[in-house]
Amino acid sequence: MKRDNPLLPYLATLDEVVDLTPDVKLFRIELNDPEVRESFDYQPGQFVFVSAFGTGESPFGLTSVGYRKGPLEVAVRRVGTVTGSLHDLEPGAIVGVRGPFGNHFPLDEFKGKDLFIIGGGIGFAPLRPVITSILDHREDYGELTILNGARTPSDLVFAPEFDSWAAAPRTKLELTVDAGDESWTGRVALIPRVVAELGFSPENAIAVICGPPIMIHFTLIELKKLGFADSQIVTTLEGKMKCGLGKCARCNVGEKYICRDGPVFTMEQISQLIEQF
Amino acid sequence: MSDYISRADLLSWLEKVSQSRDLVAPVKIEDLTLFQKVERVEDIVFDPGNTDLSPKEFFFPKSEVLFYVDRSDGRVELVPAEVEQETVIFGIRPCDAKGIAVLDLPYLEEPADALYRQHREKTTLVGLSCVSACPECFCTSMGTTPDDASNVDIMLTEVEEGFIVQVVTEKGKALLPEGLLSSKEVSPPAAPSVASVPSEGIAEKMHQVFDSPYWDRLADRCLHCNVCSYVCPTCYCFDVRDLRSGGRVERVRSWESCQSPGFTKIAGGYDPRAAKGPRLRQRFAHKLLYFVEKFGVTHCVGCGRCVRSCPVNIDIREVIQDVQGLGVKSEA
Repeated sequence: MKRDNPLLPYLATLDEVVDLTPDVKLFRIELNDPEVRESFDYQPGQFVFVSAFGTGESPFGLTSVGYRKGPLEVAVRRVGTVTGSLHDLEPGAIVGVRGPFGNHFPLDEFKGKDLFIIGGGIGFAPLRPVITSILDHREDYGELTILNGARTPSDLVFAPEFDSWAAAPRTKLELTVDAGDESWTGRVALIPRVVAELGFSPENAIAVICGPPIMIHFTLIELKKLGFADSQIVTTLEGKMKCGLGKCARCNVGEKYICRDGPVFTMEQISQLIEQF
Repeated sequence: MSDYISRADLLSWLEKVSQSRDLVAPVKIEDLTLFQKVERVEDIVFDPGNTDLSPKEFFFPKSEVLFYVDRSDGRVELVPAEVEQETVIFGIRPCDAKGIAVLDLPYLEEPADALYRQHREKTTLVGLSCVSACPECFCTSMGTTPDDASNVDIMLTEVEEGFIVQVVTEKGKALLPEGLLSSKEVSPPAAPSVASVPSEGIAEKMHQVFDSPYWDRLADRCLHCNVCSYVCPTCYCFDVRDLRSGGRVERVRSWESCQSPGFTKIAGGYDPRAAKGPRLRQRFAHKLLYFVEKFGVTHCVGCGRCVRSCPVNIDIREVIQDVQGLGVKSEA
């Protein structure tokens, strides 16, 4: 989307705020200008900066899908000042939106393949539009396995959608937590362990993983043991960023800017970067 | 024959220029020489040395409001800053002018930075050739020369009692009134000899030594004071924050440095460059590798300011020399 000043946000209104977990809220945001709303298109994996005016702006992966033309959705965990201010806002509040920025998940390349979507904690958020897109075009893709893990049962994001995901054709939903509670009857295991137990086949398959660095590190080890090549593993990188345009020079990993060349990379691309995080 | 202007005519022309535009030139501020808006043209410093800071801040200010939030009448409106003032920068040296041309590469690349572009469009550069070289400079190893006129609108070269004038661009031409220049049989002084550093092939070499323990050793003494970034005519990293000023919210962009602890720290606390070694390597890799790969020029113009300013003598000339030598012997 072209405009004169790419650092100037669009004004937008918080339509709805949904508690996803004790510290994660889903914000549904409607862009105020009808023309901007109409032309604001984006792909799974792209992100926006959301402003809480007076505190600042931070980047968030969009959890909605562009083709449905609804409000923009982001899932925000309360971790710092901007996310704290956003959490304090009520529906009706005016926020700022800049974007969309970045590349996106290569859904075209996923077509006809079996997919393992693995997310840990708030890292699951950018995977949600991937799942929505696959389920909306179910016949285009092979078997789908969704693995969502979190610290505790109440930290699992997008719980209201679990039933519909589990009921979708050729789709399995696996949930796991680091520590259960009285009512939890499901799996208690770290994500890498579950990956090993489930034993995905790498044949004609793609694994998509998002989560904290430590989870990604150990999950990669398990995926490689299962025979996944680096080119079959897709992930997102996270970095401090202030512009989204490759200008503030904050989010580079070696010669690549996460904001512009990413945030989606295959492990093959990441292994070729000169700088390793 | 050369176009020529006497010193007296130059000053009275600058006086006229300052009546319709902001005139920015080197002036003495205590013991520093800095580019400042000039009140009296007699204050302009014509010393052969360079200023303590480059005029980068007139394109990329230390701190600049991007927009403010207007909440009057129960509505919210964002009011973007606009650059209205026409400015003439007088006395910019070729290295600093090259620095602006280097800043253009990331900032004017689409989508261009709006405020930077406005500053650029509203500003005319009148350069001054170097007739002597500073002890720390190495411009000829970084793609420019003491008399390089290619990045200014008008170039002046000091000769006896006046200046040879090269009108480089239409913008420069528009600034000069008809009949101001005369023709004179003068030849420019020989360009000064500038120390060289072995910059040839540096990007390739940086690639080879990226994982060398050299960076940790070098960074050991870095105090992360950031002065290298602040004096640099090409460093362009920034931070953006919301500030409350006079009862309203402003979004402000300000200089930042890749040497700051926390420069890359993300929400939740993870910092991929928490150690000093990777941070210092980032500065040199950006200047001598990444920028070269992306834009084809080094992100250094050889002005020597970081060499002069660093309190622990981290010297980019030595770094370039060291990097070229690393791995030549078996010890890397």
